[in-house]
Amino acid sequence: MAISEPLSAPRAVRRTRSTQVRRQRVRAAWLFLLPMLVALALVAGWPLIRTFYLSFTDASLANTGGAQFIGFENYLLYYEGTWYGLLVDPEWWRSVWNTLFFSVVSVSLETFFGVIVALILNAEFRGRMLVRAAVLIPWAIPTIVSAKMWAWMLNDQFGIINHALMGLGIIDNPLAWTANADLSMWAVIMVDVWKTIPFVALLVLAALQMLPKDCYEAAEVDGINPIKVFFRVTLPLITPALLVAVIFRALDALRVFDVIYVLTSNSTSTMTMSIYARQQLVQFQDVGYGSAASTLLFLIIALVTVAYLYLGRRQLGGDS
Amino acid sequence: MTMLASKRLWLAVLAWGITLVMFFPIFWMFLTGFKTEAAAVATPSLFFSPTLESYMAVLERTDYLKFAINSVIMAFGSTALALLIAVPCAYSMAFLPTPRTKGTLLWMLSTKMLPPVGVLMPIYLIFRDTGLLDSQLGLVIVYTLMNLPIVVWMLYTFFKDLPKDILEAGRMDGAGTSQEIIYLLLPLTLPGIASTGLLAIILSWNEAFWSLNLTSYDAAPLTAFIASFSSPEGLFWAKLSAASTMAIAPILVFGWLSQKQLVRGLTFGAVK
Repeated sequence: MAISEPLSAPRAVRRTRSTQVRRQRVRAAWLFLLPMLVALALVAGWPLIRTFYLSFTDASLANTGGAQFIGFENYLLYYEGTWYGLLVDPEWWRSVWNTLFFSVVSVSLETFFGVIVALILNAEFRGRMLVRAAVLIPWAIPTIVSAKMWAWMLNDQFGIINHALMGLGIIDNPLAWTANADLSMWAVIMVDVWKTIPFVALLVLAALQMLPKDCYEAAEVDGINPIKVFFRVTLPLITPALLVAVIFRALDALRVFDVIYVLTSNSTSTMTMSIYARQQLVQFQDVGYGSAASTLLFLIIALVTVAYLYLGRRQLGGDS
Repeated sequence: MTMLASKRLWLAVLAWGITLVMFFPIFWMFLTGFKTEAAAVATPSLFFSPTLESYMAVLERTDYLKFAINSVIMAFGSTALALLIAVPCAYSMAFLPTPRTKGTLLWMLSTKMLPPVGVLMPIYLIFRDTGLLDSQLGLVIVYTLMNLPIVVWMLYTFFKDLPKDILEAGRMDGAGTSQEIIYLLLPLTLPGIASTGLLAIILSWNEAFWSLNLTSYDAAPLTAFIASFSSPEGLFWAKLSAASTMAIAPILVFGWLSQKQLVRGLTFGAVK
């Protein structure tokens, strides 16, 4: 604890009193932090270590106490000429690929549309407070509910989306959006994009409102193309906010669970790492193997989180 | 001037268009809830004779009220508990910062980024061994811990906005730390605390991963109920829509009451 002291002050007089008070306050500070730190250690620290440990055992849900330590066998095992384990499981790699595909595509689309929505909401027009509140709603309601709602709209027989597309003559026959292996990933991405555009839009909107107005007036007076103004002036200035939004969204997308759980449940064409790990743990009750998958998922997200912390120090550093 | 006016008009039309597209799914669910099952699966139409049939069916034939009560207990219980732990913690970070405060805050927020499935099994096992599975208390604990980082972070941003002199003046007058918190800090930041609480309630209300995996029936909240919603009699879309509309109604009301604060919370305090 480095406590800075006013060097110019008459030391002998102030020191005893001020250090005593300060020491007391530092103690109070730690005392107040303690419940939170203990709680987080309990919920984040200890279970993680245990998941890590379980991934090296043959534990099953029925037999967790008597689990044997089996080393890396859940990850990789060579037995009688064949490789076994998570690292050679095509379904696991499929779910890794699905997760990455989902994350990259949906975060890109969310960012793109989020910026467009923010630019429009930044303009002045009648009822814009109402519009802003309405746009927020998809982000505020439970994902379970919105996913069910979309499942209904995307229903192959009765869904309004098939009706509308057929009415417009875009498709001839109803599409099985959530059952068709080629379409289901796109259906999931569409729902996720719909839900999270408000988040990106609001972050970007906040950044837009901080921009100095006069440089836009100057650009307008000089008759510079608005598109050019956007790329040369606006975009560089909102980049910090955009980075924060993208990182938050990317970390969320990498562990996506509920939207897929509702729309396509355990279908392999949309199976992500979280869904895969949960299926092993809960459905197949293979605690050791599922823990291995959870551990790998955690490591992947930890890597991204380190990047977040690094950027967070730089980007969030300014405002707080 | 006319060019500017027409530009404005176009922007407004565009903005309202986007809003309609974004809002349409919710509107459609709302409408479907007032249809009969037969009307719901007929050719989609905005014109139909509205009925409360589906609402009645949901309330009579399912334990909707029980799940709703579970949701309320868990959302409010976990929020109260989280605030109790978070207020002193945020006070400490905002007014007694140490060189490590910033790091602690970021570390705390980063736990929010953990994949919940990474800690699912150990927590499941503890709950199984202590009889907390499918209990309201169990989920209250989980939700409290889940929301703690964001609640501390939000309170911290609100506390930091408070002029330090006010608390210092209190200290000069001989207020102890707890008096300082109870008589000065809490009344002065009540709006911020209220909106933080509101956010925590909404997050708990919306939560699904833990409620799906740690409850089965007794302690299942509305999200778990809706996720598993189906009907033995076949068609259930109108009833599902009615149940869903009832489940999001409180959020819409709360959200409307605290729009601006909600934006701040849902964007992790980045938007003020």
